Amino acid sequence: MTMTGYQNKVLRIDLSAGKHKTEPLNMEFAAKYVGSKGLAIRYMYEELKPGVDALGIENKLFFTTGPLTGTPVACSGKLSIAAKSPATGTMNDCSIGGHAGIRIKYAGYDMIIFEGKLEKPGYIVIEDDKVKFMDADDLWGKGSHEAESILTKKYGTDYSVLSIGPAGENLSPMACINSDYYRQAGRGGIGAVMGSKNMKAVIVRGTGGVKVPDIEKATDRIIELLQKDVLQEDNTFVYDSGTTAFLEACNDGGILPYKNFSDTTDPDWKEYNDGVLMEHRKGKRGCGSCGLGCGNFLQIGKAVCEGPEYESISVAGPNAGIKDPEHIVKFNQVADDLGLDTISAGDTIIWAMEMTERGIHDFGIRFGEADKMISMLEMMAKKEGIGADLADGVKKASEKFGGTDFAMQVKGLEYPQYEPRGSWGMSMAYAVSDRGACHMRSYAPNEEVFAASIPPYTAEGKGQMVYNLGEFNAVKFSLCVCDFWGTITYEIMAELLTIVTGREWKPEEMAEVGRRVLNIGRAFNQREGFARKDDTMPERLAKDPLKSGPAAGQTIPREAFDDMLDQYYKVMGWDENGCLPDELIETL
Amino acid sequence: MEITITLRGALKKYLDGDNERKVIVPNGCTCDEALKVIGLDHKKVARFGFVAVNGMKVMINDRLKEGDELKAYPRISGG
Repeated sequence: MTMTGYQNKVLRIDLSAGKHKTEPLNMEFAAKYVGSKGLAIRYMYEELKPGVDALGIENKLFFTTGPLTGTPVACSGKLSIAAKSPATGTMNDCSIGGHAGIRIKYAGYDMIIFEGKLEKPGYIVIEDDKVKFMDADDLWGKGSHEAESILTKKYGTDYSVLSIGPAGENLSPMACINSDYYRQAGRGGIGAVMGSKNMKAVIVRGTGGVKVPDIEKATDRIIELLQKDVLQEDNTFVYDSGTTAFLEACNDGGILPYKNFSDTTDPDWKEYNDGVLMEHRKGKRGCGSCGLGCGNFLQIGKAVCEGPEYESISVAGPNAGIKDPEHIVKFNQVADDLGLDTISAGDTIIWAMEMTERGIHDFGIRFGEADKMISMLEMMAKKEGIGADLADGVKKASEKFGGTDFAMQVKGLEYPQYEPRGSWGMSMAYAVSDRGACHMRSYAPNEEVFAASIPPYTAEGKGQMVYNLGEFNAVKFSLCVCDFWGTITYEIMAELLTIVTGREWKPEEMAEVGRRVLNIGRAFNQREGFARKDDTMPERLAKDPLKSGPAAGQTIPREAFDDMLDQYYKVMGWDENGCLPDELIETL
Repeated sequence: MEITITLRGALKKYLDGDNERKVIVPNGCTCDEALKVIGLDHKKVARFGFVAVNGMKVMINDRLKEGDELKAYPRISGG
């Protein structure tokens, strides 16, 4: 089977042998999982042996595009990077913006698979069908920003750079991969997998294109959709202020976490809200093919970053008891340069702040100590001093020092910045997410808070709700469409796939793809020994009522959480232990 | 009674692009009724989000009092 839109080609790079080869894309997988997220997970399931060491030579890195990547379809320029996670031991797929995905596609590949390990630190140059293995002695140890700058000066701006910082080199389970300086494949230690392969960077340039059956018809319809659906006011808010606008909505909605999730809402939120931050905007940027342009370059004092996104604002701001916008920008800048995930690194530091405040263990840092928070990032990335105790994340640190009740994580991945006691479905979205606590799998506040369509403080109906949200995002991200095209529907997705691939896709098939993607992620984890016992929520949520905001007084009773899990497993067709039956696995 | 209505995102068009406006509304009216004073019928806005009073999310049928700040959000997505 062939389809247009795809390049029908995988580049497989053997880092140990210094060799590469190409092979046809598995089109059976493509037909069932479309691309990007889903395709990457299906390949991982196929190629990674159960129990493989995430930082060992047998783990692989999968850089995966989709059929829409490289076409003029709006918001389709992202790239999936996947591997087994050293943070969780689960599967892990990340989505990174910028231009690298499009350049991989124009170089002629749907997917690049990195196997083995370079003998010594190096980087890989991919230019169409040429692959070069380069020495990285002069790059190793440098921050991700400097490394990208050096490589861009050397090769030119028509190459995309994907690089790691010191955190990735030091195999931090919260290390990310950077591209275009401020875009990240952020979570689950994906940068440590790259570091474990001695790979400082991948740079790529492509001079080809993407074939579609009828370029004139495709272009007309794609432009029409851009004008009529993408560029409408329900989506264009992201151009004005990006995700900084979420701060106010989360505060008013009662889901903005405060001081390591000990409470919600911050009466001083106006000191660092979107209006304050945007006063310091110096420029705008979007990913390749983007019609929206969510990126904001800010400079406050000497601190510069693209963003900060809501997650970073929250974890470096109210959740750390800090109200200084310059600190928030600096935190973002330093973490990105070190190659640290702001969510996981930030959550680990704020947990350490609470540990110190409560006298359980003195990590030498308390809520509100902004300078120490910045210093801690470097110590964690380099595993030095107190940073070494925190470098492996909040799960392992709490197992060693205590404080597990308020260690906000699932499966070893730290909590994103949405307080579940104000949005009960989020507790389960985090719990059943296939890579540990992730807000991008099922975004429960969308229904429970921001739309107020489903009551937030009840277990009723939450299994189906979390499934519906998860199914939709699973297929959306398998098309590699950015989350910010918020008005896209299954009808539009199917139409775009039909225009690009030349095969007719029906809207109802989109739902089937989404369910399949959720199942293959779970099947991978099941093979690794994960089950209901691992779908957890921190004890704090069951034990400590919120004190402030519209959700004041709320906890999530254990029986309600268990009820939600039962509901979700039933919707998924899994058994009561959260396991897929064999006959379901066989359909994947 | 006088209240302040604040609109976010795409809803600002109901205040001609302004963020907020002081508005005279019937004493003890609901959030829903107050928004209709400026021509915003939430049932007719496909992607209407939620309302907050004085920085706290409330139900659309909750009643207002003199001096309240009523804020209305469109539905947002992403994260």
